[in-house]
Amino acid sequence: MAQFLSQAPQQIVNGLTLGSVYALIALGYSMVYGILQLLNFAHGDVYMVGAFIGFGVLTVFLPDAGPLLPAALVILLMLVAAMIGCGFLGVAIEWFAYRPLRNAPRIAPLISALGMSILLQNSVQLTLTAQFRVYHTEKLIPISAGVDLGPAHLSLVRVLVIGSAIVMMVGLAYLVNRTRLGRAMRAVALDREAAAMMGVNVDQVIVLTFFIGSALAGGSGVLTGLVFGRIWHTMGFNAGLKGFTAAVIGGIGNIPGAMLGGLLIGLLEAFATGFISSTYSDVIVFVVLILFLLVRPRGLLGATGAQKV
Amino acid sequence: MKRLNKLMPLLGGLTVASLLLAACAPAATPAPTAVPPTVAAPTTVPATTAPTAAATVEIKIAFYAPLTGGAASLGTEQLAFARQAVADFNKNMTGFHVTMVEEDTDITPDKAVPVCTKDAGDNTIVGVVGPSGSGQVAACSKILDGAGLAHISGSATRPSLSQAGDKTFFRVVPNDNVQGPTDGNYIADVLKAKKVFVIDDKEDYGTNLADTVEKTIKAKGVTTQRQGVDATLADFSSLATTIKGFGPDLVFFAGQIASQGASLAKAMKDQGLSVPVFGGDGFFSQKDYIDGAGGATEGSYASVFFPDLRSLPAAADVAKEMDTAFPAWGPFGAPSYVATTLLLDAAVTASQGGKLDRPSVAAALAKTDVKVFGIEFKFDANGEPQGLNDGIFIIKGGKFVGAPTS
Repeated sequence: MAQFLSQAPQQIVNGLTLGSVYALIALGYSMVYGILQLLNFAHGDVYMVGAFIGFGVLTVFLPDAGPLLPAALVILLMLVAAMIGCGFLGVAIEWFAYRPLRNAPRIAPLISALGMSILLQNSVQLTLTAQFRVYHTEKLIPISAGVDLGPAHLSLVRVLVIGSAIVMMVGLAYLVNRTRLGRAMRAVALDREAAAMMGVNVDQVIVLTFFIGSALAGGSGVLTGLVFGRIWHTMGFNAGLKGFTAAVIGGIGNIPGAMLGGLLIGLLEAFATGFISSTYSDVIVFVVLILFLLVRPRGLLGATGAQKV
Repeated sequence: MKRLNKLMPLLGGLTVASLLLAACAPAATPAPTAVPPTVAAPTTVPATTAPTAAATVEIKIAFYAPLTGGAASLGTEQLAFARQAVADFNKNMTGFHVTMVEEDTDITPDKAVPVCTKDAGDNTIVGVVGPSGSGQVAACSKILDGAGLAHISGSATRPSLSQAGDKTFFRVVPNDNVQGPTDGNYIADVLKAKKVFVIDDKEDYGTNLADTVEKTIKAKGVTTQRQGVDATLADFSSLATTIKGFGPDLVFFAGQIASQGASLAKAMKDQGLSVPVFGGDGFFSQKDYIDGAGGATEGSYASVFFPDLRSLPAAADVAKEMDTAFPAWGPFGAPSYVATTLLLDAAVTASQGGKLDRPSVAAALAKTDVKVFGIEFKFDANGEPQGLNDGIFIIKGGKFVGAPTS
């Protein structure tokens, strides 16, 4: 018990960091599912591409001699480049892999999504090789920078990651709840045909949903690189599965649910590693997914009303 | 190199099996790969029948390594060392001249098998340096053994290779079952660690290494805690918190992905824990384990299958030559120098015994008792080097240097 109390605060910090990354991935899953009832399994690979775009920007602005621009500006550039790049990638994926199948049976776009995932992974391997790449975050933010909160150490990188994730999530919440576009998105999610009849440009809403969801994944990829340091071409597979799990646990299609699910999965993984074993942490996460699918398939914050059929 | 070879035993086994089947199918014709060793060496002139004292005995050997592909950095280093051994031999041994056929096997058995088959049928070749990876040895050994062709590897460490019954297989590096006790003894006796956190990578190589290290240090009274991580693990912070809670003197990480070692060291430093990480061969990477860690692995360790050549006085000349021939040389190539030297030494013994052919070279190699770089090399009945241990390196000033032995 003493061990638990002394380590729990640090594991909360660890879990919140990891959870922020998962939450941003989960949002993209959830938004696309909410509007198209499509599981976009290429989403994890969009996140991977985002990490590589951020790495490219970092490489350009951080030669061995030291950063060419102030650290904060470099990080901002990485995030912006990855988010815009991944946003367009998401739009391209929608246009190329999903739109032609929009009225096909639901299994067809699912298979198309898996194919897209393999295509993205292999394209990155062919062009950039299978090597691990390292974000030299310590050249921008010293490893030791941060504050001690009792027994836990909250490093500056983690503050940046959690903070960036919060900013992105608040921005998304504002967009969905307070803007015309957000209203259109909610309308399409509720009933695509009725929304179209009311004059909502459904195609445009779908494209923008893909853009926003993919941009969040790209941002998440950069944050992963910054805090965990290591990226590679198949990193999106596992992270994508965790993001999907988070979306299901939060209630797929539900935006606050995806945020909550992401944070919970991050915390669960940290505590499972810390107090059970890293050997079994993934097992525990996916057992929780199975339990949710069996006991409460609509997730924590999922719609309570009847499912549209 | 061994980390690239996880799928190789299977592929290698299949390849060998299919080759054997192919060889056995037409019962009326002799198997093409099994050249009787007795008709060997038409171009080599046995020393005893040399018409004049000035005649030079020609020795032809082959060299196998991945000279292209993903492991080319290691294979070309091995080649540079083997070439140096040939050059030194040709310079110092009067009455003999060596030519070495350089063959690219990549790091896959399917590239190695055609090369082995070709050379098995070339009677002018009396011995082979290599193959490099355990997978290529597994695929080639039966073919080479069938042709009586001695093959001596400078880097294949899979323990089972010497148990396959191939009497012409030799290696000059200790196998993976030697590495665990070596590392464990160093941790307990030299570093005098009392608490060690052991991590494995949930794969064959890592689990076996972690098991043997843990067994060795536990027997010496060291307290351990053990966990496993996936190759896909990116976030080491939760594990670092657990490690910090355990309060070890050292973390032994039996992984193969050097950048994971760097990530772990960074995560520990992030939480204010500064204890060294100790890894296996896979961690011996300047780029991933040192440069990729941004200083977090300073003072950490990696064990490799050969001692640091720069620390051996008897190797000073070779080290100096290599600085110009292959400036990026590390610990990987030196065993290939040894393997080449031992093979050539056996060829000289065979020639002086009256017969420079494959069986005599293999027989002479089995009886090897030679010092190279001041280290004595002898083989047991299975071709395993006797009395060799892995070298242990520490990171000092952003470079690997030989770790103090006491």
